Amino acid sequence: MRLLIAEDDPMIARSLNSALTALGNTVDTFSLASQARTALQNDRFDLVLLDLGLPDGDGLDLLAELRDRGDKTPVLILTARDGIEDRVRGLDLGADDYLAKPFSIAELEARVRALLRRSQQRSDNHLRFGALCLDSSVGSVTLEGNPLELPRRELRLLEGLILNGGNIAPREMLESRVFGFGEVGSNALEVYVSRLRKRLQGSGLRIRTFRGLGYRLEEEPS
Amino acid sequence: MIHIDGSLKVRLAILLLVMVSILGTLLMIEAYFATQRAAQRAYDSQLEAAALTIAEAVQWEGADPVVEIPAAALQILATQHQERVFYTVLDHNGDRLSTNLDIDLPHTSRQAAALAPTWLDLVHKDTEWRLHGQEYDSAGWEIQSPVQIWVGHTLRGRKALASELFDRAVIRFLAMVLLAATLMVLAMRVALTPMRQLRHQLRRRQADDIRPLDTRVPEEMREMAEALDTLFARQRESRDTLLRFTADASHQLKTPLAGLQSTSELALKSRSPDVWYQALEEVHGGTQRTSRLAGQLLSLARLRHIEDTEALVPLDLKELLRSTVLEWAGREVAIDHDLGLSALPSTPMTIRGEPWGLRELLGNLIDNAIRYTPAGSEITLGVESCSDHCMLFIEDDGPGVDPEGLSRLFQPFERVGRQDTEGSGLGLAIVDSIAKRHDAELHARERLPHGLRIELHFPLHEEKC
Amino acid sequence: MLRSWVLTGLLFVSLTSTKGMAATQLVVEAALDRQVVAPLLAAFEKAHPEIELTYHDRTTLEVDLLVETSSQAPDIVISSAMPWQMNRVNEGYARRIDSQPAAQWPEWAKWRNEIFGFTFEPIVMAYRLDLASYMLPPQTHADLHTLLRSQQESLKGKVTTYSPSESGIGYTLFQQDARYTAKFWDLVKALGNAEATLELDTQSMLEGLTRGDYWLGYNLLGSYAMVWAQQHPEIIVQVPQDYALVVMRTGFIHRDAPNPEAAEKFMNFLLSRDGQHVLAGKTPLFSVHPDIIGPYTAQRLRDQVGDRLYPITLNASLLAFVDPQRRDAFMARWQREFNQQRELPQGPESRK
Repeated sequence: MRLLIAEDDPMIARSLNSALTALGNTVDTFSLASQARTALQNDRFDLVLLDLGLPDGDGLDLLAELRDRGDKTPVLILTARDGIEDRVRGLDLGADDYLAKPFSIAELEARVRALLRRSQQRSDNHLRFGALCLDSSVGSVTLEGNPLELPRRELRLLEGLILNGGNIAPREMLESRVFGFGEVGSNALEVYVSRLRKRLQGSGLRIRTFRGLGYRLEEEPS
Repeated sequence: MIHIDGSLKVRLAILLLVMVSILGTLLMIEAYFATQRAAQRAYDSQLEAAALTIAEAVQWEGADPVVEIPAAALQILATQHQERVFYTVLDHNGDRLSTNLDIDLPHTSRQAAALAPTWLDLVHKDTEWRLHGQEYDSAGWEIQSPVQIWVGHTLRGRKALASELFDRAVIRFLAMVLLAATLMVLAMRVALTPMRQLRHQLRRRQADDIRPLDTRVPEEMREMAEALDTLFARQRESRDTLLRFTADASHQLKTPLAGLQSTSELALKSRSPDVWYQALEEVHGGTQRTSRLAGQLLSLARLRHIEDTEALVPLDLKELLRSTVLEWAGREVAIDHDLGLSALPSTPMTIRGEPWGLRELLGNLIDNAIRYTPAGSEITLGVESCSDHCMLFIEDDGPGVDPEGLSRLFQPFERVGRQDTEGSGLGLAIVDSIAKRHDAELHARERLPHGLRIELHFPLHEEKC
Repeated sequence: MLRSWVLTGLLFVSLTSTKGMAATQLVVEAALDRQVVAPLLAAFEKAHPEIELTYHDRTTLEVDLLVETSSQAPDIVISSAMPWQMNRVNEGYARRIDSQPAAQWPEWAKWRNEIFGFTFEPIVMAYRLDLASYMLPPQTHADLHTLLRSQQESLKGKVTTYSPSESGIGYTLFQQDARYTAKFWDLVKALGNAEATLELDTQSMLEGLTRGDYWLGYNLLGSYAMVWAQQHPEIIVQVPQDYALVVMRTGFIHRDAPNPEAAEKFMNFLLSRDGQHVLAGKTPLFSVHPDIIGPYTAQRLRDQVGDRLYPITLNASLLAFVDPQRRDAFMARWQREFNQQRELPQGPESRK
């Protein structure tokens, strides 16, 4: 994946660069908004990490320019802790996620992975997560290349989980996907989740329950 | 904002002007009539004198009265204003003995004059006259018979006198008003001196001078002066609090930073990678702690100095809670804890609040719960609806806090015996500040068999209820 | 439409221009000899050529009647009969004058700014020069009285004075004398005893003196007498030294004057420095104006006679003299005193 980092603090830039390169990405780092702008105009990137406090310009202006020309490259904005308004504005302007400084590298890596996965999913019609691959146009699923027969509702549930790949899928969203907009009992979803869990046993994937919130499809910790 | 709404001086001046105008008009009306009366009386007395003079000149020749009009009488009638004059002398039958002008006297007036001195205003050939008629008893040796004498003159003198007196009255009145106005202006200046003095005193203060007021004020200004003093006292208090806080904070920061310094210093003395690794681990932890602390200090400082209560808007507490918990549950820090949301009631819950503040509050509560409970602990948040307020809670099944520590739980830098190297003791102080801004009551109690439960009681926003 | 406007305009223009081209009329009814006042009239006509002056020289009675009865009122009324003028003013026949000369006129010489006394004429005694060869000429009223008594036989039929019944000014003067002192009636008795001839006017008295009909005259108008004496040196004019009456000839603008603006111009001229200058310099009518210097001024008179001038004041007290009862009483007394021994011959009706 090709990543662009716009960050003026040299220590943070260096650590971002090495962390993300270690994940197998190609990373371009710039310390000025003007440089980043030029790079964005001339090249295509898979993800942009944008610090809002660049010395020669507001990162948000850069974001707005990007979105105005229809560029849908995922953007992760890095904000100082009390830049609440920045965060809200950033998300409104079209940023995909935010991270407050100081952040842990682990957190950053997780978010970057999630964003990349999502963007990858949009690029082709196949939704992938780990060993799973779902062709949403046809409605077929394969696990490690082997087709997996799923009832309609389970399929929908799985689709929903994969779409949120890496993030918690809110239960209301899953319920409406699986059952439509009718009334459902509180346990109805749980039933389908447990069925899916059985199917996924041994696949290296699991579905984690978040009480009152939703479910998350994750890779089993090794 | 301070709006200038008129002026005391102008208001007073207008009121006084209105009053003076009304009173003045009444006075002038009275003066007008009084001067008319005075002039009337003055000139009427001339008529009386002239009539008397003529009366004294009546003589009797046998049975007939004869009157030789005294020249002086006519000049009395004329007065210094050179009026046109009239006289007529009638005998007891009403026949004219002597007259100079052909003025018709009404019968009724002649009858009235027979009884008592009569006054008559009439118009003769387009001229206004005032006449006086009186009957005089007159006696000769042979006969006694009354004689009616009428005198009169034109009104120029009267009118001139009345108008002169009235003009003088008006001038005196106006002069008095002017004088009173001038004095009033001076008096107001003097009376308002305490206000000016106070104003000067305040102006001379430095911007950050919040010492108590030392001034003399009249009774009416006491409340204002006291309010100012209270304001200054609160500002002093607030400044003192800030100074204390800053002192505390800097102490709190210095401690971990000192630790970092010594750890790294020691590590630099060694050549062993194991020592370095260990030192780095400590430094990593220390920096994390220190940045967390710095962030929290900043939040706390902000909270203490934001005065703006207009930032509170109506918001749905349930939705805010759900979104915040959802966000936190997805984070790395929460990965080893079971962070969940209890079932939310279906009733709507709207409170007046600040979204940022409430997220910060929830964040601090959750962060606190994660830190002070071991991995695998259950942390649950939820809301409950009570009659006139909503209750937001967070509970865990961690080790909890002992009862006496509960009371000090929300003080800054209090660890209440919960030993942990990561926390700063500020998280709950921040929660306390935000709760105060939202008029929410904060309670903490232990759970059985072990754990901590913190409740926030928010007043409901009236409209929805 | 336009034509009628044009015609109206032309008519208006023609009227105004005719008015302007023709002289304004001014009618003056006066009990004042034209000859005496001629220089003043000439001066006025010179100063106001646009005014055509018509001056009627009449008796005081005629003038007084004209005020009330004439079909077209006169513009100006001048007379020496002060009480009658005052009466007309009191009746409202005069028109107020609000000009500067009027405003500045001395207070004692005007009444209501309607009537103005514009001359200051002393009342004098006159005698033939050759009287002095027989007797001591009188200088005071007391002298006259003494003379009439001591020289009664010589002076019988040779004395003259005004007729109070026939002459308005004469009546007025006698009333004033009576007002001044009660001893006046002694003088009347003495005049009666001297069989004094009662004349109608000063002119007649002066002519009589010149002819030799009379040797002595009492209460003559000083203005005429002085002029006459200048031309007839045998006549001596004596301003009484104990007290000398002074009459003012008065004028006013009639309320119904047909030419009020012209009338006001005349009165203003009369009261102006120019008019008074002519009066003082060219007529024997003494000027009232204090600033005028000339042979015939009130000031000069004062200088000559001193404080014994007794002007008849122009005020309301004069009205008493036209009171019929008072007049009757006075005349009755006159009759008694004058005719103690004889009847008074009735003369023709005339007053001057």
